[in-house]
Order: sequence, then C-alpha cells, then structure tokens
Amino acid sequence: MVAKRSLGLAALAAGGAIAVGYRRRKAVRPGPAEWFAVTVDCGPEELSGANRPDALGRLTEHHEVRITPAPGGRGTEIAVHAADGKVREEVRALKQFLETGEVLRVEGQPEGHRTVLGRAAVPVSRQLMRRGVR
Amino acid sequence: MKALCWTGVNEVAVEEVPDPRILNRQDVIVRVTASSTCGSDLHLLDGYVPTMMAGDVIGHEFLGEVVETGPDVRDRRVGERVVVCSIIGCGRCRNCRAEMWSLCDNSNPDPGFLETLNGHATAGIFGYSHAMGGFAGSHAEYVRVPYGDVNAFPVPEGVADANAVFASDAVPTGWMGADIAGIRPGDVVAVWGCGGVGQMAARAAFLLGAERVIAIDRLPERLEMTARHTGAETLDYEEVDVLDALKEMTGGRGPDVCVEAVGMEGHGTGAQYAYDRVKQAVRLQTDRGLPLRQAIHACRKGGTVSVLGVYLGFVDKFPMGAVMNKGLTLRSGQQHGQRYIPMLLERMAAGEVDASHLLTHPMALEDAPRGYEMFKNKEDGCVRAVFTP
Ligand SMILES: NC(=O)c1ccc[n+]([C@@H]2O[C@H](COP(=O)([O-])OP(=O)(O)OC[C@H]3O[C@@H](n4cnc5c(N)ncnc54)[C@H](O)[C@@H]3O)[C@@H](O)[C@H]2O)c1
Ligand SMILES: [Zn+2]
Ligand SMILES: [Zn+2]
Repeated sequence: MVAKRSLGLAALAAGGAIAVGYRRRKAVRPGPAEWFAVTVDCGPEELSGANRPDALGRLTEHHEVRITPAPGGRGTEIAVHAADGKVREEVRALKQFLETGEVLRVEGQPEGHRTVLGRAAVPVSRQLMRRGVR
Repeated sequence: MKALCWTGVNEVAVEEVPDPRILNRQDVIVRVTASSTCGSDLHLLDGYVPTMMAGDVIGHEFLGEVVETGPDVRDRRVGERVVVCSIIGCGRCRNCRAEMWSLCDNSNPDPGFLETLNGHATAGIFGYSHAMGGFAGSHAEYVRVPYGDVNAFPVPEGVADANAVFASDAVPTGWMGADIAGIRPGDVVAVWGCGGVGQMAARAAFLLGAERVIAIDRLPERLEMTARHTGAETLDYEEVDVLDALKEMTGGRGPDVCVEAVGMEGHGTGAQYAYDRVKQAVRLQTDRGLPLRQAIHACRKGGTVSVLGVYLGFVDKFPMGAVMNKGLTLRSGQQHGQRYIPMLLERMAAGEVDASHLLTHPMALEDAPRGYEMFKNKEDGCVRAVFTP
C-alpha cells in the first residue's frame, strides 16, 4: 500500500490548489461513480435475445444495465448501475467469459511459506484488487 | 517441487511448494529447463513493487517442455520444447488482437491496484507481484501457463536452450524498443543500459536499419560485451559527460532515437542522483529517473524516446518542457512479446539474432539466492544468471 500513500501525497502536492478551486465553483462534491462499465469485443446482437449470456441475465434482475454499441463498431459497452464490489467482479468475469470462454483463476497456484499475516492478507487483497475501489 | 520464493526485501529462498495444476481449460503445464534473472526482478527485490507477499514464487523469463495440456488447448502438445512469453496475453481481447499483448484486458484477474494507480491495469506477468495478477513464477520445476496456445512458442530444433530462453523477455523487449521507435535507415540510435535488454535493443536497432548505435553504461565488462556482440559504439557515463559526448558524436543534432533500458533504479552521478535516491527511499517519488531525463534531453528535435525500463509510479523532474518544445515522440510499454517471438525464433535459427552470450552464469535452482546476489551487485561480470531445476 506504499505506492497508494505516495499517490495520495503526490496528488495533494500537485493538484491540491486546483482541486479546491474546482470544488468551490461546482459547489457539489462528485459522489462515487454510479455506473461501472466495460467494453466487450463482440457485437450487441451477441448480448441479446437467445444469445444473452446467463450471467448478464442475472445482472439485469437486480441492476439497471445499459448495453450500447461502442463507437466505430469497436465492441459493445456494458454499463451497470449501482455496482458494488461483488457486481464489479461479476461484470469483469462476464467480459472475460465472453471474450475468452472462461474466467481466469489464480487461486490454487504454488506458493511458498506464508506468514500468519500473509495467509490472511492474500485472499483479502486479491478480492480488493479483483473488485477495485471506487 | 522446489521453487524460488520472495521472502522479503532483498531476500529470496528456495522452498518446497506444491506442484502447479491445470486451473483453466486453456492452461498448459511446463516443466522448466531454464529460467533467467531479469533486471525487472531487481525492482521486486529492492521492494519497489508493492503487493509482493512473502511466499510468492518469482521468475518470468523461461524455457521448458510441455508436460500437460488443459482440455481446451488446441495447438500445444505434450513433449514440445517451448519458450513462454514473460507477459501473459489472452489472444482474444481487442488489445491482443491489435498485437498490443501487454495491454491484454483479460490476463490480469486482479486489476484494481493498477487501476487506482495508473487508471488502467497491465496484463498479467509471471512471478511479478499481486498487482500484475499474482501468477506463480518460473524459478521452479514446473509452471502453469494460462492460455497456453498463445503464450507458449515451440522452439526450432537448431536453436540452443541458452539462446532460446531469452526469446521469452530480453530479446523481444529490446526488439520492441527499436520497433516502436520507428527506426529508419541511416538513424543514429542511443541506448541507455547495457543489460540484456539494452544489448538486444542495440542489436535490433542495427537490424532495423540504424547506421550507428551508441550504448551507454558504466560497467566495463558490459560495455565491452555490447561492443563485441552488437557492434555498437559505447560510452562510459562515469568517464564522459553523456550529453556532451552525444552532441559531439551526432554533429550537434542528437540521436534520432533514444532507447531507455535502465528503469526505475537508474544509477547516476551528482546531485540529481542523490536527490532521486532520497526521495525514492522515503517514497516521495516511487521511481528514479536520471537516464530517462538524459534520454529526453539528448534526443534530437522531432526524435523519438523509447522507454523500456520499468517504471511503476511517479518520476520527479520529468522534463516535459523538452518533450514539448522539441516535439518529441514518447513510446513505451511492457513488451508485446507474442508479436515478435515467432519472428525472433526464426532469426535465431538463421543466426541473425544470438543472445546466448547474455547467459554468463548457469546455475542450479538451489543456488538461485546466490545467483540473485551476483546479478544484483553485478559481481563477476554477471549479466544474466540462469537457473536449471
Ligand atoms: N518493457 C518490458 O517489458 C521489460 C522487459 C524486461 C525488462 N525490462 C526493464 O528493462 C530494464 C533493463 O533490464 P535488464 O534486464 O537489461 O537489467 P540490468 O539490471 O541487467 O541492466 C540495467 C543496466 O543499466 C545500467 N545503468 C544504470 N544506471 C544507468 C545510467 N544512468 N545510464 C546508463 N546505464 C545505466 C546498469 O549498469 C545495468 O548495466 C529494467 O528496468 C527492466 O525492468 C522491461
Ligand atoms: Zn523481465
Ligand atoms: Zn487479451
């Protein structure tokens, strides 16, 4: 997490003054991102009707989902509203599945001796990084 | 099996770990026959790559034999001798299909850290921290290779192991540095760093039409090796002022292309170096950037700076003024190995590319901790230590 701390520091040093000015003018603080979006390398027709993947069907049951052709015919954008960490993980998995036919796994690989702390930290940090913070 | 694990800053150890197994249908398992140290590992050793955890198996530049294939593997066969690209691609996303394999969207299952740091994540890399996907590395008896059909390449019979192993990383990286810089016949190319990557960039520059290549380092044995094996002229940055020397050697113009093959632990002389070290040590900047600044400063007006050295975060005193006012083009990236490896193996078979001299220290995997010590401290002329399990 060292780099993250310095990321914050650098942002503070470089952009602090500008950010303050910006906020004052806008009056409102931007909230957390409302949509989580990925672009999948397939045509929109592959995501609808009989072709619609089950995972996408499940997402639409609980979330507003927007499916749009990307400009220039460069794939299809899938945006999910109010996506929490678990949903973000599902959306990333959906993209992987649509493009490569499977969801890549890293759990279960060889590893050497973990410290007690490490044994607890590996799955937690993995989950954090898989979901991403927002 | 035995594997080399990162156990802490500047600490590695050979440990007994479980064998890898097929985790995805497109995986292959490779029995490793040669696995090399790389300058990128020094960033891990020195603790500049966050998200390393004690117990992580490291190593990413390797050669071996396919011993098992997942049910959806179509092209790879058990028994094939293969070199595996250090950076993992899926072969199907838009970036892979555009031959920008290190920008793969799917091979890094845990992209969150890099997304926060950089906006978007890089592809997965073997043995290179959890931020890069947390893949077990190749300093081991066996390694699991995801998307085996696109990441493992059969090696032509006539190419020796000692040459082919570097088709995994150093050779395609060097080639990419020259290729993305758009070298044109008659160009003068300067290369910072005479490690495996810099040497291969120098060689590639000539093969792509450069008329003169000037390689820069301070280690006499590396300078001599670079001159002998690539035909480049050399500069010792502890002996001469690099910027003055390059101006003089290029009639005041500066090199057309500057390749930076040093990375975030760039060494240097003088006050700027001291400043960089202190700031990096207290994490006020993550990356030291002296050779990068030099490359930008030296480059001719309208020229191209090609950055192969690895940076992860921020460099201080980045000379944006020079980039802007000299109209420079900046190119960079982790290597797109899959784009070059088949061609490079052919060139190796034809005798046009030979990297085997980089292998200065063949060692048993058991001796890998000593190998890293030698490689890190550049002892005994070590350019690359290569481990055999
Ligand atoms: N882009 C990629 O995909 C990729 C792949 C492999 C390696 N790399 C990176 O390329 C860089 C070089 O790798 P390597 O394996 O050749 O490493 P290496 O450690 O063997 O070589 C680096 C060389 O740079 C020299 N050097 C240090 N400071 C210098 C300076 N100020 N001016 C000139 N030379 C200087 C060192 O003396 C050394 O010889 C590393 O940063 C590594 O992480 C990138
Ligand atoms: Zn490497
Ligand atoms: Zn891909």
